[in-house]
Amino acid sequence: MTKRLLDIGERAVKLAEKMGAEQVEVYLAKSRAYEIEAENNAIKGASEQRDAGIGIRTVIGKKIGFAYVTTLNEDDITEAISHSLSLAKASLEDPDFVTLPSSGGTYHKAKKLFDNKVDTLSSEEAARLLIRTIDATKENLEGMDFAIEAAISSSSSFNAIVNNLGIAMAESRTSVSLYAYPVIKEGDDQTASYEYQISRDLNDIDPEYIGETAATLAIGFLRPKTIEGGTMPVIFEPLGANSILGRGFAGAVNAEEVQMGRSYIADAYGECIASESLEIIDDGTIPGGLGTRTFDAEGYVSQRTPIIESGVLKNLLHNSYTANKDDVENTGNAARPSYSGLPRISTSNFILTPGKGTVDDFISEMKKGIVCRNTGDRPNMTTGDLSAMVMEGYYIENGEIKFPLKNTLIGINMKDLLTGVSQVGSDSRTTFSMIAPSFVIENANITSG
Amino acid sequence: MEDLATAAIEAALKAGVSFADVRIENTSTTIIEINDGVSKQSMASRLKGAGIRAFIDGAWAFGQTTDLSSSGMRKIGDSVAKLALTTKEQVSEKFEIDGPIFEDRFEYNVKKPFSSISIDDKVSLVKMIDDQARDFDKRIVSTRSVYGDMYTELYIANSLGTKVYAENSIPRIISAPTAKDGANRQRIFKSLGVRGGYEVMDTDAAKNIGHDAAELVIELLSSIPATGGSYDVVMDPILNGVMTHEAFGHAAEADNWPSHSTVLEDKVGKEVGPEYLSITDDPTLDGQRGSYEYDWEGTKTKKRTLVKDGILTELLHSLETANRLDMDPNGAARSQSFMDAPLPRMSNTFMEPCDWDVDELIQDTKNGILLCSFNYGYTQSAKGQFMFQASHGYIIENGEKGRMVRDVSLAGNILEVLAKVDAIGNDFELDAGSCGKGGQAVPTMTGGPHARILNMPVGGM
Repeated sequence: MTKRLLDIGERAVKLAEKMGAEQVEVYLAKSRAYEIEAENNAIKGASEQRDAGIGIRTVIGKKIGFAYVTTLNEDDITEAISHSLSLAKASLEDPDFVTLPSSGGTYHKAKKLFDNKVDTLSSEEAARLLIRTIDATKENLEGMDFAIEAAISSSSSFNAIVNNLGIAMAESRTSVSLYAYPVIKEGDDQTASYEYQISRDLNDIDPEYIGETAATLAIGFLRPKTIEGGTMPVIFEPLGANSILGRGFAGAVNAEEVQMGRSYIADAYGECIASESLEIIDDGTIPGGLGTRTFDAEGYVSQRTPIIESGVLKNLLHNSYTANKDDVENTGNAARPSYSGLPRISTSNFILTPGKGTVDDFISEMKKGIVCRNTGDRPNMTTGDLSAMVMEGYYIENGEIKFPLKNTLIGINMKDLLTGVSQVGSDSRTTFSMIAPSFVIENANITSG
Repeated sequence: MEDLATAAIEAALKAGVSFADVRIENTSTTIIEINDGVSKQSMASRLKGAGIRAFIDGAWAFGQTTDLSSSGMRKIGDSVAKLALTTKEQVSEKFEIDGPIFEDRFEYNVKKPFSSISIDDKVSLVKMIDDQARDFDKRIVSTRSVYGDMYTELYIANSLGTKVYAENSIPRIISAPTAKDGANRQRIFKSLGVRGGYEVMDTDAAKNIGHDAAELVIELLSSIPATGGSYDVVMDPILNGVMTHEAFGHAAEADNWPSHSTVLEDKVGKEVGPEYLSITDDPTLDGQRGSYEYDWEGTKTKKRTLVKDGILTELLHSLETANRLDMDPNGAARSQSFMDAPLPRMSNTFMEPCDWDVDELIQDTKNGILLCSFNYGYTQSAKGQFMFQASHGYIIENGEKGRMVRDVSLAGNILEVLAKVDAIGNDFELDAGSCGKGGQAVPTMTGGPHARILNMPVGGM
C-alpha cells in the first residue's frame, strides 16, 4: 500500500513540476475505519469508512498554493495540481517563506505503530468487545434505571509524503478506541459519565475496566450540588490535566502562534514560566505512542524536544516554515488533518513527566478544595485567561470527597496555573491530546451557583 | 447521478435489507487566508463521492466510496447491506423506516456564482479587509482575514422512492485581529456568513468587517476580566442564540430519545420555560447560512416550533427518530459530507422576540452584566449541563452600562436556566455559526432578541 501511494506521489510531483511548480509537495493518505455503535444497552449500527485522497502544495517564488481532492484518480489529481498552481500564482508573496524541507538527516524508524490484530479485527470480534463493555457497565449498575451508549472504532491508515527536494517517506499505523457512556436516572436526578481507552495495540484495550469505571463514576455523580465560591486548590485528574495542558498549553508553545503574537507566553523563551515540579517533553519517538511517527507531516525527521525543564521554557514547537523564519532547528512538529490541509504545528506525544502520588493521595491531604475530572474548555490563547466548567468533579473537605459538583467554574490565568502547580502525580494516562498524570494547583477562583 | 444511486440501492435491496439510501456529493470550496498582508493557508478542494446506508430490523450500516462508477456503486451497496445484515443479529429493538417520498430538482440560483469570480478578485477582497483591520489603529499588531466559499451539488435517493437534487452556496468572511498595548494583548473573531453567491461580499457588512473587528479589539484593550459570582445576565442576540442552541437545541435533537440521553425525555408536551418563551428552528428562512430545502435524507424541510409559549412541542427529526417516536419527520437530518451518516441537527435556531425594549431592559437591571457575542460553547444533553463563553460584555450598575469585561463564561443546567429567563426583548438578529456533533460540523445560524436570565453563575479570573 505505501509503495503504491509513493508511486502516485512521485508521478504527481513530476506533473506539478511540468505544469510550472518550482517546489512541490504531495501528501497522500488512504485509510479504512470501522466502527460499531451501541445505544440503550444494545448494538445499533456499524460503519465502514474508506477514505483516500491527495493534497498538493505548490510553490512559485515565495508564493504558495494548496489544493486537495478526495480521490486518487489521475484526472482529479491533475485538476487539483492546476487549482493549487492557480492559488499560488494569485497569492501575495510570503517574504518569510524560505523553502520546503529537504531530508532531515537520519530517520529513526518508529516502532509499534501497526498492530495486525487491529488491522484484521473482524466485525464479529469488534462486536464482542463492545458487548463485553456493555455487560461490564450493566453489572455495575444493577437495580438502577440506566441507558448505556458505547462504541468501538478501529482504523488502519497509510500515508506518504513526496516532495521535489528529495523527501519520499511513507508509514502505516493502526488505532483502536473503545468507550462506554452510561446515563443513569434516580428520581428527578439524571447524570452520566464515561470512560475510554485508545491505543495502537488491541491488547491495551480492556472492556471490563472501561465498563466498570464508567458505571462507578456515573453513580458517583448523582445528586450534585453547588458550593460557596472562593479561592481554593484544584486537583486535576489526568483527563482534566490533559485538556488543560494538552490543549491550553500546547497551543501556546506553537511557534506559529508565538510568531503571530497570539500566544500568552509570547516573549518568555528561556524564562521560568512554571513551577519547578513541572517538566514537559514533546517526544515523537516513543514506541507505540499515538503521536509517534518516523517523520512529521512535511516528511521531516521526528524527534524528542524538551519544552519545560525545571519550570524554564526550553523550546517551542516548529515546522519548517517557522523554524526557517526564526532561523532555528526544525523540531519536526508539522501536522495536518490528513491530505485535506496545509501543515500547521502540533504536538507529537506531549508528555507531562510523572511525579509522586495519586488523586486519592492528593484528596486525603486536602483540607478544602475541588477535584476536576475533566473539562471541555481551553483558555483564551492570547491572554491566557481560562474559565473552565467542571464537567465532572467533586467538592473536598478534610481529606474526603463530600459530593459531586454542578454549575461550577474554575477561573485562573494559565501563567498563574503553570507557576501554581504544587504537585504532579504518578498516575499517567494517554488521551487523544497528551500523556499526563494528575496535578494540583494551589489556588484558583471557583464560582458556583 | 440517478443511475449511480439506483445501482447502489438495488444492490443493497438484493442483498436482503429493507431500506437503503444514497447521497452523492460534488462540492468545491475555496479558502483564501491573509495574515499580516501575506497569503497563508489558501486552498481549493473538491469533495466527490457517495455515502450509502442500509437498514434492516433496527440495524444500520453505513459506508462510503469515491468510486463513482456503476460497478463501484453496486459493490458498496452490496457490502453495506451485508454489514447491516451481520449487525442485525445483535440489535435488541426492532423498528421500520418509512417516510414521505419526495421527487424534486432544486437549483439554487445566485447573482454571482463563486466560479465566475477570479481568484485574484477574491485575494484582493481579503487583502482589502486585512489592510482595513491593520490600518485602523497602531495597536493592531497582527491581522488574520479569511474568505471561504462552498458550492455543493447533492443528489439524494432512497428505496422508498425519494429522488432529490439540491444545490447550496455559502460564502463566509472572517476578520480576527490581535491588538497589543504594553503587556496587554487581545484578540477578536468576527465573521459574516449568509447563504448566497459572491454578491454577499458586496454588502457593507462584509466590506467593513475588518474595520468593525478592529474597532472591537481596540475597545477590548481597556476591558478587565470579570469578577466571578452570580449575576442577572442580559444576553445580546448573538449570545442568546448560543445559549438557545447549547442549552436547549441540542437536547431537543430526537436521536437523544431512543438513547435516553436527554434531560428533556419526559418533557414533550410539558412546560420547560415561562409562558412568554418560544424557541424556533427554521431552515426555510431566506438567505440564511443554516437554510436548506431538503435534508440529507431527502426530506423536505419545514419550520420547527420547538418551544411554544413555554411548552416543548416539537423535536428535530431524522426518518429514524420520526419512525421510532411516532412523530412527523421534519427534515432535520444533516451530514457534514458524503463521508458521514446523517444525524438530527439544528439549522437556524433562535428565541422568538417578545415585548421588552432593549434600553428599558438594561435600565431595569440593577446589578448585572450585559454579555455580547461568543467564543464557544458546549453541552452534555444527558446531564443537562452546558457552558458557553461570551467574547466580551459590560458591567451593569443601577441600570447603566459600565466597564467592559472580557471572556465571560456561564455554566448552567438546561432545565433550570430556561425557567430563569425573566425578560425577552423586541429586537432580533442572527449570527453565523458552525455546529459540531459526532465529529461532524454543519453550518448553522443562531440568534434571537436580547434576553435576561436571573441569577446565573458567571466565571471570573
